[in-house]
Amino acid sequence: MTSMGYFGRFGGFYVPEVLVSSLKNLQAGYAELSQDPTFKEELNSLLSTYAGRPTPLYHAKRLSERIGGAAIYLKREDLAHTGSHKINNALGQALLAKKMGKSRVIAETGAGQHGVATATVCALLGLECEVYMGETDVERQRLNCYRMELLGAKVNVVRSGSRTLKDSINEAMRDYASTSGHTHYLIGSVVGPHPYPTMVRDFQSVIGNEVKEQMMSIVGRLPEALVACVGGGCNSIGLFHPFADDPGVEMFGAEAAGEGIACGKHSASVVAGTEGVLHGARTLILQDGDGQVSETASVAAGLDYPAVGPEHAYLSGIGRARYTAVTDREAIAAFHMLSETEGIIPALESAHAIHLAAEVAGELGPRGNLVVCLSGRGDKDVDQVAKLEGIQ
Amino acid sequence: MSRIAQAFEDLGGSKEGAYIPYVCCGDLGTEFTVKLVRTLTDSGADILELGLPFSDPLADGPTIQSAMVRALSSGFRTRRLFDTITKIRNEGVTTPIVVMTYYNPIVRTGVSEFCSTLSTVGADAVLAVDLPIEESRELDEAAADNGLDVIRLVAPTTDNARAEEIMSTATGFVYAVSVSGVTGAKDRLPPTAISLLNRLVGVDGSVPIALGFGISNPEQVVEAIAAGASGVVEGSALINIYSESSRDEQTLLDRVREHSSRIKSATKQ
Repeated sequence: MTSMGYFGRFGGFYVPEVLVSSLKNLQAGYAELSQDPTFKEELNSLLSTYAGRPTPLYHAKRLSERIGGAAIYLKREDLAHTGSHKINNALGQALLAKKMGKSRVIAETGAGQHGVATATVCALLGLECEVYMGETDVERQRLNCYRMELLGAKVNVVRSGSRTLKDSINEAMRDYASTSGHTHYLIGSVVGPHPYPTMVRDFQSVIGNEVKEQMMSIVGRLPEALVACVGGGCNSIGLFHPFADDPGVEMFGAEAAGEGIACGKHSASVVAGTEGVLHGARTLILQDGDGQVSETASVAAGLDYPAVGPEHAYLSGIGRARYTAVTDREAIAAFHMLSETEGIIPALESAHAIHLAAEVAGELGPRGNLVVCLSGRGDKDVDQVAKLEGIQ
Repeated sequence: MSRIAQAFEDLGGSKEGAYIPYVCCGDLGTEFTVKLVRTLTDSGADILELGLPFSDPLADGPTIQSAMVRALSSGFRTRRLFDTITKIRNEGVTTPIVVMTYYNPIVRTGVSEFCSTLSTVGADAVLAVDLPIEESRELDEAAADNGLDVIRLVAPTTDNARAEEIMSTATGFVYAVSVSGVTGAKDRLPPTAISLLNRLVGVDGSVPIALGFGISNPEQVVEAIAAGASGVVEGSALINIYSESSRDEQTLLDRVREHSSRIKSATKQ
């Protein structure tokens, strides 16, 4: 038996025996369909006619001026259907599930964006849908919770462990262990056992592929830098991956520093994590000295996860991408800055990337070009920010 | 021959099945763990499975999850597992010990250090629930270097070719998971358990098979052994007995003793 799904020393297939056969079927199903021209055609057609792709690449002139460095381009994933990049992967996997004869789809969600995207594609394709969401996340993202129910999905509130994203993944895996015959587990990020990190990356690579074409047609050359937020890390991998072999393009990931790395209330797995095995993959994890996984914190529910996709651990290890932790306070400032300069309210997750993009743009100087992935829109967060600022 | 292999051989001679209770270490405190282990060995436990709790036990149902949360929030960590095993051995318990956990606590300690410490404190085997054969090489080597058996799992979803591969590299015994799902006490054996046992008995492999997940009563034990199991693992049901009551410790331990003795009797058919 050889191991599979590795990025350097990270990744792999660390799952209970009961899940092995379903995951192997999924690997085989994906390997076959990803080479099938009709599958690609169907997916591309849905991406354009249903999800609204390609999303624009927008030159944020006023933001760039405010910062006074490189030209900043926003990859507008917030304009995709359901309001974030999550639809790219949800469509791909749901279509795959349908082709593999599954009638039911389960998913985990943190901020609710992946849950909404999954509920949406299940409504579209006529699949039964159940979403696991931590109680803490349900409280801070009520609107998305209701949105999923409107779309016909059942939301299962998770009350185990820290009641956030990691526990929702545990619950979804437990469900999958007994239902995998007719159920597909639609993981929302580049985490989990093989084939998820690779498959989700492939579905999200549409982001970077479009950016490449758009930069060539708008600017005539590739950007000097790419910036994206990293929780599990799927919008960032989607942006980064197509540029893997373009050494002139630097990659920057913004993790969540929460209230600060020093105080321990954060979610910065690459910056502050150590090697371990969680949710099926060997990767960087926030854990104590005995391998017990830490509780994490971030103002952005979608970044509130104690590990990172194994490919990020690899990219960090070889120095291909650099990771910086951005605090809640910095992210909220960036949330305001983008809203005021460009009339675009970003998701709090994406606001982490905007903060880092401002720093990188300053370093690059006025002749540089930078692309930041605006992974989602901020409507879902307006309530929360207003509360934090004492408005309501 | 390992102590575990010896235990099965001795039982086989007297046509008994092995009773293998699972104990979530540190639940209700390490002193209680040691007392619970003594109670179980007094009631005829043939092999002990000592669980090192993990924060994200995705193969476990609510009963074992709760036990792990209780243990971890009281500060139970890997070092205390080693100390607990030492204490158990110092009390003169010679029953073989399997340490069952998830892979991350092993990785964090260092696979080789984990195994060598287990061996030093007197454990006999290690089982990592989320470590399929594809990823097991490092643990297999470290365990072999330290004279530990590696217990592997087979599930109802494991096909025959894979079961053969698992059994051909297993040591000690193979842990057959009765159901496609998570741990948790059930009243009856699911049909998947019997069909799995029937398949495994036909697979060419020399290690004994112990059935676990959902075991809670003597009727299931009789049925499992009749279908070819050489032993049964019981976990959640025991936790239910000692955690659902607010009675004093001795009463709880007496209940465990009474229950476990009945399970053990059922292995003697």
